Amino acid sequence: MSFDPELFIHAMSHRAPPYILEHLNLVLIPMCIAVLIALPTSIMLTRPAYRRFTSRIMAVFNAGQTIPPLAVIAIFFPFLGLGYAPAILALSIYALLPIARNTITAISSVPQDVKEAARGMGMTPWEVLRKVELPLSVPGIMTGIKTSAVLTVSTAVLAALVGGKGMGAVIFAGINFFQAELILAGTVYIGIMAVLIERMLTLLEWYLSPSHLK
Amino acid sequence: MIELINVTKIFPGAPSPSVDNVSFRVNQGNICVLLGPSGCGKTTILRMMNRLEEPSSGKILINSENTLKSDPSALRRSIGYVIQQTGLLPHRTVARNIALVPGLLGWPQEKINSRVDELLKLMGLDSGDIADKYPHQLSGGQMQRVGVARAMAADPPIMLMDEPFGAVDPIIRIRLQDEFLKLQQQVRKTICFVTHDINEAIKMADYLIIFNQGRLVQMGSPVEVLTSPADDFVLSLIGDDRGVKILDLTRAETLMEPADNISDDLLGSGCTVQSYQPVKLALEVMMKKNQDRVGVCRGNHLAGTLSWSDIKRHINKVSGEESEL
Repeated sequence: MSFDPELFIHAMSHRAPPYILEHLNLVLIPMCIAVLIALPTSIMLTRPAYRRFTSRIMAVFNAGQTIPPLAVIAIFFPFLGLGYAPAILALSIYALLPIARNTITAISSVPQDVKEAARGMGMTPWEVLRKVELPLSVPGIMTGIKTSAVLTVSTAVLAALVGGKGMGAVIFAGINFFQAELILAGTVYIGIMAVLIERMLTLLEWYLSPSHLK
Repeated sequence: MIELINVTKIFPGAPSPSVDNVSFRVNQGNICVLLGPSGCGKTTILRMMNRLEEPSSGKILINSENTLKSDPSALRRSIGYVIQQTGLLPHRTVARNIALVPGLLGWPQEKINSRVDELLKLMGLDSGDIADKYPHQLSGGQMQRVGVARAMAADPPIMLMDEPFGAVDPIIRIRLQDEFLKLQQQVRKTICFVTHDINEAIKMADYLIIFNQGRLVQMGSPVEVLTSPADDFVLSLIGDDRGVKILDLTRAETLMEPADNISDDLLGSGCTVQSYQPVKLALEVMMKKNQDRVGVCRGNHLAGTLSWSDIKRHINKVSGEESEL
């Protein structure tokens, strides 16, 4: 396989850019779905009434992580067929675990004496969650979301295999036609997206973090 | 006033009750100290008063109202609560930690601010920029002060304190105890105070209640408990120096004899104590001046004398032992 700089520049400037937005969709939509599912579920699982279910629900999330995304697509193939929807579904399931795990860890590690004192001062359970547990858990929760987001940026490449498009289309085209230039161009964009998304989430984390940590 | 009536608490899976049929009363404006070794149920009793735990049976009345019939959050907002680990909210400044309960009660912001300033001053936290610091920037003693200030913020008539000075070093602890006693002279709260430290208990208590393995063993004023311990457990808890502890609680004037004509010499040599000072201090003066008696003064005027044999007689009487001190 030879490397043609001109072809690489062409790939960087013309072949790959149209797929950037598609790829971002493949990251943002599953991430939103995963956050919307994992966050409330994990918050609920840290409440005393539901704590006993934690290990079971976490087992489901763990399974979501161990099954390769392609296998998830295979499982849902009879119902959703190929294309965009199964790709989104597989990526969402894949993104759940890091968010859930980090959220549960973060909320559980809020010091017991702080929660006890808050309760002893007369905060209702809802006030303790909203004013004490969640603010103190922001760094942990954001770590989970960042891990998940970066993971999804690279995993979303596989979406192209089931017709889900995205930057994977460029990379797999490169693999099929033995064009390293395309593979490299796609990978560079994947890297840039991963770094930028991580930076943006870090900014968001700083904004949301409790003020004593700033 | 707090009243416990036949309160029992059995935690699920525990072999014996953590609190076993306990009844007592804390009078208005008193510091009532719950004393006992760890695991004796004293903290559980405290936590039942503001319903952080529910009693398995029995009832707890606060100002004659059954706490079990009130809303737990509202009840807790009306009771000050201080714990050993302080439990300050790490993401809030000192000022906003103190403002916690008034905020929950929906006070207007101006009233909250002036109350916070007042408390910072009261607790000696008004120097520098402590109000705007976060808890992790404070020393242990400062954190405990903020904990007490936070508990007092909404001016609750009742305060529950669970080893509030337990986490600081002995020097700071004694200072905090002194300050708190001085403060109590002004505010006259009804206080339930949990400790495992006999010296702290004797110092703080108007009324002392001793627990062992969930059962109430003895209650009474510190002097009553020291002079007539109910059983061997209380005796071992008090320690071997109970005579000295009693002398620390006894005012010089209670043991003094009328002054005679030679006692004026004592005044001249400075071998005197004030009438309100403890007998222990009189002993100290005797040793320093190498005398076997001291003059007891009210102001500059000699009110009587206190001799070595007076003290010895008192000790023998209260402890019922024929021992030399």
